[in-house]
Amino acid sequence: MRAQSTAGIHSIAEYLPPRVASVRELHDRGLLRGSPETLTSFGFDTVHLAGEETNIDMAIAAAERVLEESDVDRNDIGMILYAAALSSSSTLWDGNGGSPHGSVLQLDSVPDLFKYPASVLQTELGLPNAPVVGINQLGCASIFAALRMARALIVAEGELRAVLCVSSDKFPAGRHRDLAYNLVSDGACATIVRRGDRINRIVECTQITKGALWDSEAIENEIIAAYFPTATALIERTLAKAGLEMDDISLVIPHNVSLRSWEILGRLIKCPPERIYTENIARVGHTIASDNLLNLRRATEAGMIEKGDYLLLFTFGYGSNWACMIVQH
Amino acid sequence: MRDQSILLTGATGAVGGDLLRKLAVRKGLRINALVRRSDRDPHERVKAILGELDVTAKLNVLEGDIGVGSSLGLDDATLASVRRETTHIIHAAGSTSFTLPLAAARAANVAGSRNVLDFARGCASLECGAFLSTVYVSGKRRGVFAESEYGDEGHGFVNSYEQSKAEMEEIVRAAMGELPLILVRLSTVVGDSTTGRVSGFNTIHHAIRLLYNGLAPMIPGDPAEPVDIVSSDFVAAATLHLVENAPRPGVFHLAAGRESSSSLEELIGETVSSLSRFRPAWRKRAVERPLIVDLDTYELFVRSVEETGNEVLKGATRAIRTFAYQLAHPKVFATNQAATVLAESGIAPQRSSDFYPRVVKYCLESNWGTRPC
Ligand SMILES: NC(=O)c1ccc[n+]([C@@H]2O[C@H](COP(=O)([O-])OP(=O)(O)OC[C@H]3O[C@@H](n4cnc5c(N)ncnc54)[C@H](OP(=O)(O)O)[C@@H]3O)[C@@H](O)[C@H]2O)c1
Repeated sequence: MRAQSTAGIHSIAEYLPPRVASVRELHDRGLLRGSPETLTSFGFDTVHLAGEETNIDMAIAAAERVLEESDVDRNDIGMILYAAALSSSSTLWDGNGGSPHGSVLQLDSVPDLFKYPASVLQTELGLPNAPVVGINQLGCASIFAALRMARALIVAEGELRAVLCVSSDKFPAGRHRDLAYNLVSDGACATIVRRGDRINRIVECTQITKGALWDSEAIENEIIAAYFPTATALIERTLAKAGLEMDDISLVIPHNVSLRSWEILGRLIKCPPERIYTENIARVGHTIASDNLLNLRRATEAGMIEKGDYLLLFTFGYGSNWACMIVQH
Repeated sequence: MRDQSILLTGATGAVGGDLLRKLAVRKGLRINALVRRSDRDPHERVKAILGELDVTAKLNVLEGDIGVGSSLGLDDATLASVRRETTHIIHAAGSTSFTLPLAAARAANVAGSRNVLDFARGCASLECGAFLSTVYVSGKRRGVFAESEYGDEGHGFVNSYEQSKAEMEEIVRAAMGELPLILVRLSTVVGDSTTGRVSGFNTIHHAIRLLYNGLAPMIPGDPAEPVDIVSSDFVAAATLHLVENAPRPGVFHLAAGRESSSSLEELIGETVSSLSRFRPAWRKRAVERPLIVDLDTYELFVRSVEETGNEVLKGATRAIRTFAYQLAHPKVFATNQAATVLAESGIAPQRSSDFYPRVVKYCLESNWGTRPC
């Protein structure tokens, strides 16, 4: 029998640190660069802050949960794609300068340069049959690249039944949590992309990289200015590739950047606000790479998505990368 | 204008400078160039405008000020002699800033023009007084704006400049019964059609620069509507032809009209392709074309930028905002009257797509007027 060459996002789980802080508290603790009023006006309210947990702890927690909740046999997980948005997430750094696993960002320590979180994840999860690949350097778009590659691998390799995609990022302790007028949360998400899955079938994946905009610090204004036209162009291109129009999309599953930016982008892509799932911007904030999957899970749980619905996922990651995906629920 | 005497105000300005260069090479013409009194030497300023030009007219540089009354800041003897000899006036002085408070715009454009009108009343030999105005006295009107029409018709203005020019037109119009006056309404002047040389950098050039720097994410407007721009050589030649030949009183549009204009979408495309062509390295920056958006979306974006307090982005959106609101009120400027007078001269607006790329090239090569080229 010919292997099915479609893949779907079978199940999703997240890990958010229990500690929650409000915009006001972050401001009072000196963890904001900009004005709390602007962040509030842009739709932010609270974020999750990791305490003791490292990014690998959060990754394991999210991955364990998705494995527990799904009916996928652990032996069927044929690959782990570990997506790291922050460069530090590709190490075993604990966010405070140390590491319980022995690898921090010490570029001059040769042994440390070969200690990878993806391997720790594999052994901790007990998935000896799943080779690992790390995906990084795309900022918040890294999980989109993982999903895209998972689907491509499933299509290309007949024996691969399921791929575990994980992303986890923890901000360095004590640093400003607002980036380009967005408020950053710590968190992780994990998903299983499974061959032949009809739920959340991945229809189209696209990405634009503008390498010229790599220096997020020096040319922040140019990046902000490029955001809307590039996002609009990519979303239109993705819809066209899928043979769909905006009206065919039942729900846009966003990344949790400012509500204001989604108000603007919604107008540009001609999507009314009620078809953009923005509930978690205020209460979760921008979990770097985990937003879209977290939102997809919560929108599903809230009964907002019906079988057959087309969903459009969009994110932006420094680098600069714009990524879009259409799935059919 | 041979054997005649022309008073030119605003000779150091973008349009006035172009007019001065054309007038200066006419034999037998007497030119009184009024230069605003300042701590700079007026002769040096005029010399800088004329450059290597072989001046054949009789050029007289006068220091003055249109803001100080009907004497225009001239001493009694000079005033009397200039009044006596003046056969033509071209009033090209004023403020072209879009961001002045209304009172200051009025002081420059309404009070200053009233003084020039009073001056004109004392010129016994006056044959034609030409007051330069703008097609944007039409304000937020939409649709076709005819030369016979005046003002915003209650739709309001985009900025204080437009309003002050419309008010200026009212006083000129009121004086048309007693004086041989014409109003010459210019479209946006962008540069020389052959060399691309820009006499005065304005908001269009600033917008090109913002696009070049990747700081122009969106522009309000309708992609299909024309953006009316004209070349400086057309404006200078046509203005002088009208001054000599137009019936007075009269109102004339020096505009490209629909036929010679590119649409907003085309103009953005021409800008991007010119930047890529004349600065190939720019392509590496992969700057996305600005989106053409409705006014509400643009306002929301501007408001958001204001809230962030980001000075660079605020500066960029404000710069676009001062003129871009015009793009959100698209209109076509009818040019029938001007075309009739210009018909036999062969002077006509060039297609903007034919010369606009040269202007973009000039902007790049001169680094927006900061580098000699
Ligand atoms: N350029 C365009 O695209 C455009 C488009 C439509 C209409 N127009 C009209 O064309 C005319 C000329 O515009 P422009 O672009 O040449 O303007 P500009 O470059 O800003 O020049 C203005 C001129 O007016 C002079 N001036 C200002 N206040 C004065 C005063 N109180 N006394 C004496 N001189 C004074 C300035 O002298 P200083 O050099 O000392 O400042 C300068 O020579 C204006 O009526 C404008 O409304 C221009």
